[in-house]
Amino acid sequence: MAVVVGINFAIALRLIGWVPQFALNPFQRFYHLHWLGAVIVLLSGLGLLLAYPAKALTNPVFYLKFIALGGGLLIAAWLQKQIVNHSISKIPAQKLKIIAGISIVLWIMAITAGRFLAYTNSVLLASRFF
Amino acid sequence: MIDILSYFSNTTGIYAFMNSPWGWPTAESIHFLGLCVLIGTVGVFDFRMLGIGQGIEYADLHKLVKFGVAGYLLNVITGTMFLTTAPDQYIYNPAFQTKMLFMLLAGLNMLWFYATTSQQVKATNGEIAVSNRAKIIAAVSLLSWSIIIICGRLITYFRPPYHWCLWC
Repeated sequence: MAVVVGINFAIALRLIGWVPQFALNPFQRFYHLHWLGAVIVLLSGLGLLLAYPAKALTNPVFYLKFIALGGGLLIAAWLQKQIVNHSISKIPAQKLKIIAGISIVLWIMAITAGRFLAYTNSVLLASRFF
Repeated sequence: MIDILSYFSNTTGIYAFMNSPWGWPTAESIHFLGLCVLIGTVGVFDFRMLGIGQGIEYADLHKLVKFGVAGYLLNVITGTMFLTTAPDQYIYNPAFQTKMLFMLLAGLNMLWFYATTSQQVKATNGEIAVSNRAKIIAAVSLLSWSIIIICGRLITYFRPPYHWCLWC
């Protein structure tokens, strides 16, 4: 998760302009690491969901995390596509800054929701419903 | 030691905040956020020194490190809040001890980098590989931070008094 969020933060900081305008095209190689991290996040998340399905599925915070994670990954995939196609330079800087800002907010939401999941569940086991 | 840490927590309001309904998870969220910023800046720079992202100037990417320092400060502040609120759960905990050991290693590694290698790396063209010493420093840094993250997660599962420690 730290690798996924960290790489997204780095590219968002670059797009917002808080760090120097380093070359974006070579940065696409970091996306290999990013997607490897994303697969680990999704597989380990699936494992946790399978272990305690009722705990997650009855908690609204779980859906918030899921939406934030999905949104963050969609933005990452879109940005990667623009970088690989060399079309990112044609996108207005203001639009990129807004997308980068949304990306940061979504990742902060995903992290916060993830930590709060452990403290907000009202159901632990599905057997409670039987 | 525990008395001093508890006194600090009680007199600064940390204990009251951490024992409020959202105190602990809020501090945990900020702690993990700081860690992500650290990995996204220092970690990305380490990966760059190991050869990923050839063409990106080292000096440009190094400017991300100041955000890593901000992330580290967030971690130190929230980490202090955890430690002082429940000191007995940390200072006797082998996962916490290992985490601190590798934080020390990461710190010494960083000092080694800035004392011997940073100027040379920042002056290196982005198309050229850095020295082996810089690569070793980057690998040690990534390894240390990975172990620090793993130990951080394991703290919950190795709570004293059920587990041994060096001075219990």
